[in-house]
Amino acid sequence: MKCRTLLVKNQMVELNRVVDFLDEIGEEWELSVPLLFSLNLVLEEALTNIILYGFEDQNEHTIEIDFKKDEDQLHVSFVDDGIAYDPTLKEDPDISLSTEDRANGGLGIFLIKKIMDQVQYKRKENRNYLMLTKNIKV
Amino acid sequence: MNVEVLKSEEYVLVSVEGRVDTTNAGEFEKTMMGVIEGGATRIILDCSALNYISSSGLRVFLIVQKKMMATKGHFSLCNLQPGIKEIFDISGFSSIFTMFPDKEAAIKG
Repeated sequence: MKCRTLLVKNQMVELNRVVDFLDEIGEEWELSVPLLFSLNLVLEEALTNIILYGFEDQNEHTIEIDFKKDEDQLHVSFVDDGIAYDPTLKEDPDISLSTEDRANGGLGIFLIKKIMDQVQYKRKENRNYLMLTKNIKV
Repeated sequence: MNVEVLKSEEYVLVSVEGRVDTTNAGEFEKTMMGVIEGGATRIILDCSALNYISSSGLRVFLIVQKKMMATKGHFSLCNLQPGIKEIFDISGFSSIFTMFPDKEAAIKG
């Protein structure tokens, strides 16, 4: 099992560090380009949600992102001390609607659910745990 | 991200290169709104060098499409890389946008 942890602050500029970090483990763990694309997207959507909506104060917070990889699966977990929010409960957008009726936003969590094979959430000791799993066995 | 706007008599060709994500989607939106407000009735967006998009970028695509539809204009996309096309499929965007395999086909309409 390979493990790496990345700590980021609750600032949008940190997304750049996430991209660099992904390049790094992509090379180290020999992840495919399509998988890295998917991971990048999932990380951006999850982090953007936490940073933009997770904190009611103006203080600096640290968000922990844990990466684990075994032969069959890749796990990405987010831990933050923001307000309780369970993204798994968010209703999916109706993607069959006509252009005029489609909402401009609200695709982020939906994309995470569609791309990853498992999305789990728990609240423990005032922290949010968002645990994502992708099956990577060829 | 780099965006290039090329105006001709019949259409405006916009080429977007690199990543459209949360950090620069606002800039991309501004450029596209500028093209629309400039009176473009037909916009072709060349995505051949677009190698990453997130929901923030998708939002801009949808806004442009809505604006163009409201003014009876035409907005089409061409040269989507497979990874981008997959995100469009997942989001239901493939049925919203007119897409062409290459620039020549998009120009022909």
